[in-house]
Amino acid sequence: MTETEAIRLFKCLADKSRLQILKSLMLEDMYVERLAQRLGLTPPTVSFHLKKLTEANVVTPYKSQYYMIYRLNRDIFETSILEILKEKSDDADIQLQRENAYRQKVIASFFEYGKLKSIPTQKKKERIVLEVIAESFQYDRLYTEREVNLIIADYYDDFCTIRRDMVGEKLLARNTDGYWRFKKEKEEN
Amino acid sequence: MNEKIKHMNLFLDHQIQLCKQHAIELQEEERRDEANFQKIKANVYDIFKTILSVAQKTGSGNPETVKQFFLEKMKQIPANWKTAYEAARLHDHTENMLIEKIKLDTAAEIEHEFLSCWEGMK
Repeated sequence: MTETEAIRLFKCLADKSRLQILKSLMLEDMYVERLAQRLGLTPPTVSFHLKKLTEANVVTPYKSQYYMIYRLNRDIFETSILEILKEKSDDADIQLQRENAYRQKVIASFFEYGKLKSIPTQKKKERIVLEVIAESFQYDRLYTEREVNLIIADYYDDFCTIRRDMVGEKLLARNTDGYWRFKKEKEEN
Repeated sequence: MNEKIKHMNLFLDHQIQLCKQHAIELQEEERRDEANFQKIKANVYDIFKTILSVAQKTGSGNPETVKQFFLEKMKQIPANWKTAYEAARLHDHTENMLIEKIKLDTAAEIEHEFLSCWEGMK
């Protein structure tokens, strides 16, 4: 188990309602309404907790007739805390994790359901946002300006600014034939 | 009309107090997410307490104007929450769905209380 996974697991378990849900699932697999009845919570609240538990890989949902049933992932509890503590933390990994966490934070702040809410003022944040949009472009394909605008418009109405900034940030390149996704050296290798 | 406003303010203050108390208890029980949901509920009561105060000022003593203003806002504000709920549902975002549902349910409860107070009290 990586550090990130361990932290996610511990955070997820540090909640009384979620522990109660897990205790119930120790007895047998259950569906949302049954858990809600047992624990005196509303079904939407139970669904919310189950989603968190599923993301932490603590429970697994499966369909049975009309119901979505939840099963405890017993394997994860067989990992001892000592084993987690023995895991080495690589500095480069930590750095990468921090960068990824920052990136995810920026993405979560500026995108909502796949749409860009606003163009970040900070250069570093704008770069991240533009990189996300650049992922919609294929490598080794030539795009007309209209195609570029249409792709960007899926994210943000002001496609002209975004298109210009993507060229400025060397995410897109252009000549008289059209636009293409710029390849970094390490991507080319 | 002052009695009705007073009743609504008492109701909203009481609900805010209940939610805050419940949030403290949940937090002490290490149920932080549910405690946050109670805070969200308290915020909704607080929003409509402000709306009621604006309605009272706008209505300048006319109960019908106060009622119309308040009910209009009761439609407008939750409309955005409904849109956000639908967007969350579409993207299967359980947390946002629950938050928007809490807001919508609380707004519906306030509307019900307002109507029974306005129609019921002389």
